[in-house]
Amino acid sequence: MSEGNTVWLRPPWGEGEPQEFDAKPEVLVPHMVAGWSQCEPPASREVVTEDVHD
Amino acid sequence: MSTTRLQEVLICFGKQKQTDIATANTGAEMWRFGKLNAALANPKLNTENDAEEFGKGHEFPTQSFQTSWDVSGTLEKYLGAEIAAWAMAFGLGKVVKSGTTPNFTYTCTPLMPASGDAAELPYFSFVEQIRPGAGVVLDRMAVGCVVEGWTISIGSGPGRANSKITIEFAGSGKVIEPSAITMPAATVEKLLPSASLALTINGVNYVSNKNIVSLETGWKNNVRMDAGFYPGSGFQTAGDATSGAIRGRLEFGNRQGTLRFTARFESGSTELAKLRNQSTGTAVLSLTYDANNSLEITWQKVSFATAEVGETDGIVTVAVECLPMYDAANGIVSAVAKCGADNICQ
Repeated sequence: MSEGNTVWLRPPWGEGEPQEFDAKPEVLVPHMVAGWSQCEPPASREVVTEDVHD
Repeated sequence: MSTTRLQEVLICFGKQKQTDIATANTGAEMWRFGKLNAALANPKLNTENDAEEFGKGHEFPTQSFQTSWDVSGTLEKYLGAEIAAWAMAFGLGKVVKSGTTPNFTYTCTPLMPASGDAAELPYFSFVEQIRPGAGVVLDRMAVGCVVEGWTISIGSGPGRANSKITIEFAGSGKVIEPSAITMPAATVEKLLPSASLALTINGVNYVSNKNIVSLETGWKNNVRMDAGFYPGSGFQTAGDATSGAIRGRLEFGNRQGTLRFTARFESGSTELAKLRNQSTGTAVLSLTYDANNSLEITWQKVSFATAEVGETDGIVTVAVECLPMYDAANGIVSAVAKCGADNICQ
């Protein structure tokens, strides 16, 4: 869910792109109250391993 | 004849949330704890009869009907980092997990439907067993349970009993018997003792001034139990309309937070003035085992609803009831629970 001490949240009502936030209460709580929810990092950020057989 | 004593009762419940109200946790998703209270989570079958129906020629019942099922229970425990994280996550309902082993951090807030959150709380399964297997006395699993509320009580004194949590839960009514769950190993708990308390309320640090005597804080979801029965909510035995109805949803009602404390009252104490002025501020309490295991609860905006001067063991004290209020930016309450357990309410 996180890289280092960050988390990914998706915006309220599922509208908009997920964003990465510092995992600090003073950052997370206002966003959670406003409707942001934790989500997986976007697929484009996943590490792609090259074909080791080439 | 073998007597069954209640010390034999084993309980485990979902550390992870169920995928939906009807899908039970698997054994791998559960964790096991001890508890302090003897009460069991007895499923209750509600019945009706035809005594008041006309056409029988008399006023006596001739038939009875299984109509619906209830499940409820209470867990009383010494407060530990693991159960605190679980209660905050399942009780408040919204969770962001961060960190890695051995320091997972669960930041929890109440669900806010006005901001797009669900009104249904996260569900878990609750298992009770006494001698499961060939000599079984009790082996059942309540499916689709939610946390109705929690209360944390902090007192003065040297023992573990001065830091306790009480968790009430309610279920959909669905019961699986036998549970088919292999009881996991007991969870090793990191206790959060009263002596570790840090407490600042409305600008006053009640620990550094050595004035705090006791404190109680809690959350109640006031779950809409009857609203769980709706047309099509289902039956104890799927497809069997005679087996009694079960709930298809458990939504919170009008939620309530509570915070009350008793502190020594002396020259310069500000509680009565703050009551008169209706001053507002945050209330932050934290309890710590070590850097990786702790609980911090923040009531984002409180005023004093009542403040009465009295005595505790011959010492003049003031008993204060706080009014938790909603802060536009930070909501009403947040909890940051740290422990070494992964996947709580995930």
